[in-house]
Amino acid sequence: MAKKKIGWYWVWVTTSLLFRLFLIYFPKDLNFTSRPEVSTPLTSLRRLAEGYWLKQSSLSPYAGSMYHASPLLLSILGPLTVIRLEGQPSHLFCSLLFVVADFFTAVLIRATGQKLQDAYSILPAGDVASLIYLWNPLTIVSCVGLSTSPVENLMVVLTLYGACSGLAPLAAFGWVTASHLSLYPSVLLIPVILLLGYGPDAPSRKLFLQKGSRTNGNKPPLAGRSFSWRPVIYFLLWAAIWAVYVLFLCSISLKQYGGLSEMFKRTHGFILTVEDLSPNIGVLWYFFAEVFEFFREFFLIVFHVNILFMILPLAIRLNHRPCFLAFVYIAISSMLKSYPSVGDPALYLALLGWFVTELAGYGECKLLLCDGNWLCLFADNSGG
Amino acid sequence: MRLFLFFFFFFSSLLASKSNALTMHTNNWAVLVCTSRFWFNYRHMANTLSLYRTVKRLGIPDERIILMLADDMACNSRNKYPAQVFNNENHRLNLYGDNVEVDYRGYEVTVENFLRVLTGRHENAVPRSKRLLSDEGSHILLYMTGHGGDEFLKFQDSEELQSHDLADAVKQMKEKHRFKELLIMVDTCQAATLFNQLHSPGVLAIGSSMKGENSYSHHLDSDVGVSVVDRFTFYTLAFFERLNTYSNASLSSLFNSYHPSALMSTAYYRTNLYQRPLDAVPVTNFFGSVMETIHTDSGYRGFSNKVTRRGKIKTPVDQEISQNERRRLTSTIVQDHVNDCSPKDEYGILSSVWNSLHERLEKTGDTDTLVNYGLMIMLPLVTITTWLS
Amino acid sequence: MKFQLQLLLFVFVLVLISHSSGNEELFTEELLLRPLADHGKVLAHFHFEHRAPFPNRDHQHYSLFPKSIHQLVQKFRIREMELSFTQGRWDYERWGGFDPVSSSNVKPPGVELWAVFDVPPNEVDETWRNLTHTLSGLFCASINFLDSTTAYSAPLWGFQQYYSSGLRYGALPREAVCTENLTPWLKLLPCRDKAGLASILERPSIYNGFYHSQKLRLISTGFGSEEGLQPEIVLQQTLTVVLQSGSQRTTTRAERVHSWSISSIFGRKAKQRCVLAKSSSIFIELDRALVSQLRNLDVKLDEISDDYWNNSAFELSVTPNRVIKEAQSPYNGNLAVLYEYSMDKINSSKPTDIGIMWKLPMVWACLQAPFHASRFLMGSGNERGSIAISLRSTKSDLGFSGGNAIDGSSIQVVVFQVVPWYVKVYFHTLQVIVDGESKMVDDVIEKMHVSPSEDKVSPGVMEMILRFPCDTNSVVLTMEFDKGFLHIDEYPPDANQGFDIPSAVITFPDAQASLFYLEDNLSNSPMLRKFQEKNILLSYTEVLLVPLATPDFSMPYNVITITCTVFALYFGSLLNVLRRRVGEEERFLKNKASKRTRFFPLLLHKLSAKLRGRPQEQPEASSQSSSMGPKLVLKVILVAGVAIGWHFYFR
Repeated sequence: MAKKKIGWYWVWVTTSLLFRLFLIYFPKDLNFTSRPEVSTPLTSLRRLAEGYWLKQSSLSPYAGSMYHASPLLLSILGPLTVIRLEGQPSHLFCSLLFVVADFFTAVLIRATGQKLQDAYSILPAGDVASLIYLWNPLTIVSCVGLSTSPVENLMVVLTLYGACSGLAPLAAFGWVTASHLSLYPSVLLIPVILLLGYGPDAPSRKLFLQKGSRTNGNKPPLAGRSFSWRPVIYFLLWAAIWAVYVLFLCSISLKQYGGLSEMFKRTHGFILTVEDLSPNIGVLWYFFAEVFEFFREFFLIVFHVNILFMILPLAIRLNHRPCFLAFVYIAISSMLKSYPSVGDPALYLALLGWFVTELAGYGECKLLLCDGNWLCLFADNSGG
Repeated sequence: MRLFLFFFFFFSSLLASKSNALTMHTNNWAVLVCTSRFWFNYRHMANTLSLYRTVKRLGIPDERIILMLADDMACNSRNKYPAQVFNNENHRLNLYGDNVEVDYRGYEVTVENFLRVLTGRHENAVPRSKRLLSDEGSHILLYMTGHGGDEFLKFQDSEELQSHDLADAVKQMKEKHRFKELLIMVDTCQAATLFNQLHSPGVLAIGSSMKGENSYSHHLDSDVGVSVVDRFTFYTLAFFERLNTYSNASLSSLFNSYHPSALMSTAYYRTNLYQRPLDAVPVTNFFGSVMETIHTDSGYRGFSNKVTRRGKIKTPVDQEISQNERRRLTSTIVQDHVNDCSPKDEYGILSSVWNSLHERLEKTGDTDTLVNYGLMIMLPLVTITTWLS
Repeated sequence: MKFQLQLLLFVFVLVLISHSSGNEELFTEELLLRPLADHGKVLAHFHFEHRAPFPNRDHQHYSLFPKSIHQLVQKFRIREMELSFTQGRWDYERWGGFDPVSSSNVKPPGVELWAVFDVPPNEVDETWRNLTHTLSGLFCASINFLDSTTAYSAPLWGFQQYYSSGLRYGALPREAVCTENLTPWLKLLPCRDKAGLASILERPSIYNGFYHSQKLRLISTGFGSEEGLQPEIVLQQTLTVVLQSGSQRTTTRAERVHSWSISSIFGRKAKQRCVLAKSSSIFIELDRALVSQLRNLDVKLDEISDDYWNNSAFELSVTPNRVIKEAQSPYNGNLAVLYEYSMDKINSSKPTDIGIMWKLPMVWACLQAPFHASRFLMGSGNERGSIAISLRSTKSDLGFSGGNAIDGSSIQVVVFQVVPWYVKVYFHTLQVIVDGESKMVDDVIEKMHVSPSEDKVSPGVMEMILRFPCDTNSVVLTMEFDKGFLHIDEYPPDANQGFDIPSAVITFPDAQASLFYLEDNLSNSPMLRKFQEKNILLSYTEVLLVPLATPDFSMPYNVITITCTVFALYFGSLLNVLRRRVGEEERFLKNKASKRTRFFPLLLHKLSAKLRGRPQEQPEASSQSSSMGPKLVLKVILVAGVAIGWHFYFR
């Protein structure tokens, strides 16, 4: 029975990958690449190619406000953008890389889901989540549409996997890289620490405990859990090491072009000061294209604080469910980030699959989804 | 030094305020503004140019006229008569002439620039010809035409000048001794509302229509294809065409020349801020440059006020290059700059290690491959550490 | 006493001599008239030149040289400057592109300004800024819009072959050119437009022409770079107009004969010379192509006879004072002919109307540059597009043979293009298509310098040298770009008209459009001397009009309130979730559930249970979810309603 199920799972995975490869062969007709929903200034591969070209002609890749992502991504993907095979679609290798990234993301989602779902055997939440990820049209579009968000998603999922399975170095690596690539995953620091400290949330046990506490009224629900500092310290140590390593590599590659300060100004600074006003599925561009110039700073602070403001209350409220907390953080930041693309909702919709069994029990999920609908609807309208 | 400056300004302002009531009318300025863009607003430009021609004819020189035209009508591709603007269908008079000096034109005609001209708060680089360099002996004529409404006047069809803005600017001008008397003449719909907030003494205001009234154009020129003049301006010009520099017509005779039946609106005069009796003020006090001559036996002492003023007017000649560089010139300069700002040995051992690493890296040359190696090392490192833990 | 007087006189004479010999101010005025091949259009090219010694003292006194220009040079330390106001576009295909007038005096529409300063590199931008403001005051134009860093650029070698860091270049394609620009320009002349050649400039007839370009060029050699030369300031003012010749006569064979004279094209006659000018002359030029056509008709232009100006093909209304011929011509030995009229010899009491009367209908093809450059936009929509620069061979051999330095096998072309920042060019998408085949970029492009545009800081500059075989038919360069989105305040009042990309400059360094004349004594004709100088062939492409997406200008408030409402709703609902405790909630719900079970929530609950595929288990959970139901549904409906309303409002 179990074997059969696994076989069924892999069939679906392979089909999804084949479907992607099939779509890659006519991206020109589909024209995903230049859709503003798919590729934002941060994730567009076209801009990456421009950055690589500038670097090759010994100019700073950040010259000319085209490229705004990490220099490491440039080193990995840059050479692939130049290689062209006769008769093949351009950027074939990048697309293949994104398919591979999607595959790994799916595998990691599944593994994490299995770790979370020890208690339940009715519905394999990991399988469901990873299949949601692979078959979500948003994911497929962002994979085929040559945006770098599959790589960013992979790093986020890697963080969560590392944290769930107690692998501090892996979690540190994922967290550092993800924050380096797109800044917003840095808020995952809190859930990762909680995950490493308390271990993955076991929803069934927790529910049971809660129910028990209500009926018996003698035991506080979190009494049985203790915070272990060792993995957390390991994590922080490894995070520091990886951060130094990544920054070192960045500083080498940007040595002639202004170094790290230039990089931070052009990547994270660009994210924070919403300079590019081209439409995307978020609301920030819409707002900042029309807001009065002298209020701009104020609203920048307000909108970014909106993300930060919720971090602590949510952490306190959901500290018994760090994985769910991570999901909520990802969902919030993907809704409120300055340059959202369809790859971001794709990730949190997939992670929702982890909690598919207990969706009914939690009102906040619904509210969050409701908010998601809000923002999506609004953005769609403003974009159109 | 600062103290000295303070005293200087203190005394000069004291001197100025003392002299203000006594200062003679020494010069005339005119600020003529057409605020409307687009071809169908031809008549607004014709209005302004007619006034320009009139004040020039009556003796205000070009350097004391600030002419603001929001669009180019004379050489507009729709103009059948290039380099010519007419305010009458008989085409007898080419308002553009051979010698017209437009100080602000096109996109430069904005509310900001208008208020800057009035208040004299320009950037250093702005040349003298674009500044209103009036003083406490100046009579200023401010003529504006365009589309307006209740307490506002539209600029370029995209911005608005509100009556508060205008009143603020006039108040500032008064406090800076930029005028002795100011005549504001506005030809727009509901022009009277634009003067509601004015409180500065010495200001006389004429509007083409009351609140709730429209100002209408006078007639259509079917050759040009648009209306060529507004009624209010048309009748103002009709009044002035009879005059020359020597005529003694008073402001009240100008005001009496407006007939509501001809204008199809009621001209509005706000005179409560103005001290002199209107029938004693010749129109050439504002629309021309006719000075009173005073015979004195002693030497001329009129410069005493001007000397103090001179310190305040910054000419573009006294500029210094202070603006910090916003842009890079060439990539080479960027690189020089970047190399300069590489950190010095101020951060202790860590940075020195960092620097020595960098130096070594520089020797190895190709940094890109190095980065690629670094990235490749990353993978085994991650796997090994993960496996170890 | 007497001795003293003598001494004084001596000193005075000495001063006079030294003044007249060394520091002489010179002013000359010239007018070149040339019939164009295009349906009787006439090119009139005015050339006024001032020469004055470079001021070595602070308060140099000039009698002729305009003070404002001298102050400009002194204050901004200008080595070289060129300011042009142009209306209309020069038609390279019909008016010619291979002669000194079209290569160095034809300018792009609007205002173009470039200047080389003699100041330290870090002060150049500031000096430029001040210069633009000063010029805007002098010439009544919005040249000050070139002061923002988004409007000008610092080309390295693509423009004018300069290797100077003090060069700045800027263009305003949209700038209107009218009387108010011409008047201050004329006021720089010592006789203004009251006497001399400038007096024939009647504004309506000039601005009624097909093309009109007034240029002011300033060269000062006083900043210690060139040695051995006497430092001086040269101010060249040129006005190039293309006008329609007035009278037409139809011959028996229904061919039109276009005869013209100064009064018929300008509406005024040249009355008297400007007495302050050292020389004042008018030329009528018959260019090489026209001469070759005349030869085919057996018109004798070579021998100077009494009636050389009245032959079988045409008749000059006034006897020219001199005939100047070209020294050597690579074009089938056909030499251009110049008829010179000196204004000194024209009697002011009896104004003569210089002109040309054609007896035969003349049809000839003009001289063209080896390649005709044009630029156009591709793509549609408000998101992206691409720019294409195409060089099309004019198939005229004379172009190649016309230049002396072409080595026959390949031709070099320099392309210089400035693109405003809101047109974000992807340089990696640069494609070169030679004769319809896509080529490797490195095969064609010899050298390239790019400084990409920075948002709201600087424009993108592209300079490249192409080299390709002479027999190439067409070369097309394409580049893709994204259209930027501006802040609402950055749009001009007429944003829906679109935004301009200034002309690209195409230079052919190998080809030279100089004209050499047999006459040695050209010292009193700066214009002809200028024609003999090295005139690198240069042409400007079209200005491109890019429509950008414009926001709704009328409703910033709506945008702000709606966005803020969305954020507030999000924030509020999240806070609401956080505030509640699970236990409390459940208790509350239980109480509520015990009161009454409504029909609708029950239905919804059943539905959701079915959807989940699980049997109904905990009544607590169900009641909870069902009670969330109506609220949720209501909210979703509300949101959807608002969204749909919003959507339709915008459609």
